[in-house]
Amino acid sequence: MDEISDRAAITNFAHESEREFARFLDFYDIEWRYEPTCFPLERDDRGRVSLSFTPDFFLPQFNLYVELTTMKQSLVTKKNRKLRLLRQLYPEVKIKVFYGRDYRRLLFKFGQMSA
Amino acid sequence: MRDCLIEPTPESTASGPLLPEIDTIVLDPKTIQRRVRQLGSQISRDYRGQELTVVCILTGAFVFACDLLRSLRLRVLAEFIAISRYSRRPTGGAVKILKDLQSDISGRNVLIVEDIVDTGLTLNYLVRNLSVRNPASMAICALLDRPELRLADIPIRYTGFNVTSQFLIGYGLDFQGKYRNLPFIATMKRLS
Repeated sequence: MDEISDRAAITNFAHESEREFARFLDFYDIEWRYEPTCFPLERDDRGRVSLSFTPDFFLPQFNLYVELTTMKQSLVTKKNRKLRLLRQLYPEVKIKVFYGRDYRRLLFKFGQMSA
Repeated sequence: MRDCLIEPTPESTASGPLLPEIDTIVLDPKTIQRRVRQLGSQISRDYRGQELTVVCILTGAFVFACDLLRSLRLRVLAEFIAISRYSRRPTGGAVKILKDLQSDISGRNVLIVEDIVDTGLTLNYLVRNLSVRNPASMAICALLDRPELRLADIPIRYTGFNVTSQFLIGYGLDFQGKYRNLPFIATMKRLS
């Protein structure tokens, strides 16, 4: 395994699907950063951040954040609300969301898993 | 023309599948051939009076490229290129060219022909690789575009059809190397 792949191996990802995605990016020599930015979305009366969103990846080459959503539907709904807020508050931020079905089919194309 | 969305027609969905694993025919042969001819006409107009090097990305694009090439009314040089695909097996590695072009594309108009564009990372690599060879121009023609999966912002000048994220086979698209020979594009039962 080369140095690039090692980076995906040693990064402390929250989910294995994120590690696989990092390997996918490494293969195409796409620079990535894991959870580099936390976007405040809501604040309480004292101005403290009460809701935030941290996209999984940032791809500097494309100036693009990527969020992988492989979780169950109830949590997806919560995440979608955050995404709506993010797009309202930070319209200049480019973010791509891969939902579970899309992500599984993408990996399936490369022989990683069943769709 | 980028907004040619797939809308399965009653005749295409109702036609009896050749193989039991085929679920729905989303693009029948007539629809595909009509669109390929339209693309051929458009490309022929755009490059009128010029020579064109058509670079077919193996393996998936070879069926589309063959039909497209025959619809071009231009002086064309056909080229083929193959690049490695991402796979967990064997370990790691990086994308590389498995079969390179036979000719020098310096100063030539190049049209890259791809079967389907999803993340755009394959084309992103290829465009970067071919750009350093100093072509006079470079454009992309994709039979199918799946923009919802796009990561790399690759400009696709000619698009056959926009598709959703469903897994497709036929007309060059494969599942484990099979089904490329089908004259239509379809979904598979086990994947739906």
